[in-house]
Amino acid sequence: MRPTRRLLLFLVLLSSQTLWLRAQDITLPLKSGSVRFAAIGDMGNGEPAQYEIAQRMLEFRQKFSFNFVIMLGDNIYGGKSPAELQKKFELPYKPLLDAGVQFYASLGNHDDTNERFYKFFNMNGERYHSFKKGNVHFFAIDSTYLDPKQLAWLEKELASSGSDWKFAYFHHPLYSSGGRHGSDTALRDQLEPLFLKYGVDVVLAGHEHFYERLKPQKGIHYFISGGAGKLRKGDVGGEFTEKAFDTGFHFMIFELLDDRLHFQVITDQGKTVDSGIIERRKVDTKAAPSVPAAPPAKPVPPTTRCSDK
Amino acid sequence: MWGGFQFMHPDGWWRALTLAVLTAAAPQPAAPAPQSVAFGDFSQRVEQYLKLRKALPNERTTKSPKQIVDRRHALAEAIRQARSGAKQGDIFTPEISVEFLRVIRGTLAGANAPNVRRTIRQGEPVANLHLTVNGPYPEHLPQTTVPPTMLLRLPQLPEKIAYRIVGHDFVLQDSEARLVIDFIPGALP
Repeated sequence: MRPTRRLLLFLVLLSSQTLWLRAQDITLPLKSGSVRFAAIGDMGNGEPAQYEIAQRMLEFRQKFSFNFVIMLGDNIYGGKSPAELQKKFELPYKPLLDAGVQFYASLGNHDDTNERFYKFFNMNGERYHSFKKGNVHFFAIDSTYLDPKQLAWLEKELASSGSDWKFAYFHHPLYSSGGRHGSDTALRDQLEPLFLKYGVDVVLAGHEHFYERLKPQKGIHYFISGGAGKLRKGDVGGEFTEKAFDTGFHFMIFELLDDRLHFQVITDQGKTVDSGIIERRKVDTKAAPSVPAAPPAKPVPPTTRCSDK
Repeated sequence: MWGGFQFMHPDGWWRALTLAVLTAAAPQPAAPAPQSVAFGDFSQRVEQYLKLRKALPNERTTKSPKQIVDRRHALAEAIRQARSGAKQGDIFTPEISVEFLRVIRGTLAGANAPNVRRTIRQGEPVANLHLTVNGPYPEHLPQTTVPPTMLLRLPQLPEKIAYRIVGHDFVLQDSEARLVIDFIPGALP
């Protein structure tokens, strides 16, 4: 074999070995028939970190074959020209798009409302929308402009949902330990009663450029995942924090099997900084709004040390 | 021609817009507004604006970012031409502004005021934008958050139009064209 071919073969083997090593951190059950997806937030700036996270997502997908991604807003920062949209979405996620992975966006304050017409975002021309995957109903809310019409829509959708699991996702967090933004209490006043009344299980938000798993609030599990392209170090930690990470970029993966939701948080270095299992709570949505106790997520020991704050 | 989006030269838009405005059917009623004469007048003025907008084709979903951007620019240009004489106060007349100020300042002074102000702050407020009617709401700026408690007390708007807060000013924005329709200077103390 010629030296150049040998070098090429060596590089290919090294590269595949690196991918394999990076994807070894997966601790989800990886069972057939489960609903699998990823979540990213505050990603659309076209900078190297966004591309790094997209690459890690691709690598982890080799072992954990998620087929859709939910987007927690700020999908396209700054300029919105066709070239910018390519640089900030189509190029970084091209391998995932080519593999048939679907992206379901919610709008952040840096997004243009016209993004709802962008077919790759699967919003069907609507600022807010819902969709079902298996036994999960997802509700993508426009938290920048929560008008009465949207609230009425949300209540109708939640009331008529027959799904076992209900996930709400949007940009501005109802609970947050972030120093820069913190909890959006006016938004919470409107949304939380609906979430409680209709048994929303999990709420995901972005806006804060870090990861935070909050202590369950009135039975609902809240996550902030706003570090798939932006990072604000030293900004998280407080009364709501169960686990936090703000020293690197990250994305989340989820696997849902019957009454158990498994989650894992992966950094741009391919390391797991949080993971756990959430048991579905049973809520009687026909009864008056109730606040059933929810146990905190059962932690699964991460393979690397996480930063507890 | 109007069945779907086709990018047209601005002159084409203008001709089509003029024709459609002249032949426009009765406008669709705006969403129900809180009961007051001033808010009723406001909703009628929004309907008049919508009559112009109604002449333009609705967007369809597309994989082409260029189509989306071209359509937004063409839309903004057509609206500017159709409202070339528009000025501040055409929609937010003095009487309407008084009613809006009553609601806005009431929301900012009520029991829930700290939450409302926090939401405005957390929405990354835009401070240094010189507003002009028909002027752009630049694409690199965030869309500022109007607290839901305020939205509940103001007349509802159709999907293509939104209220925004820019510094101390209260703005009526065409959210698809990213264009300032009108504004109330100094509405927020």
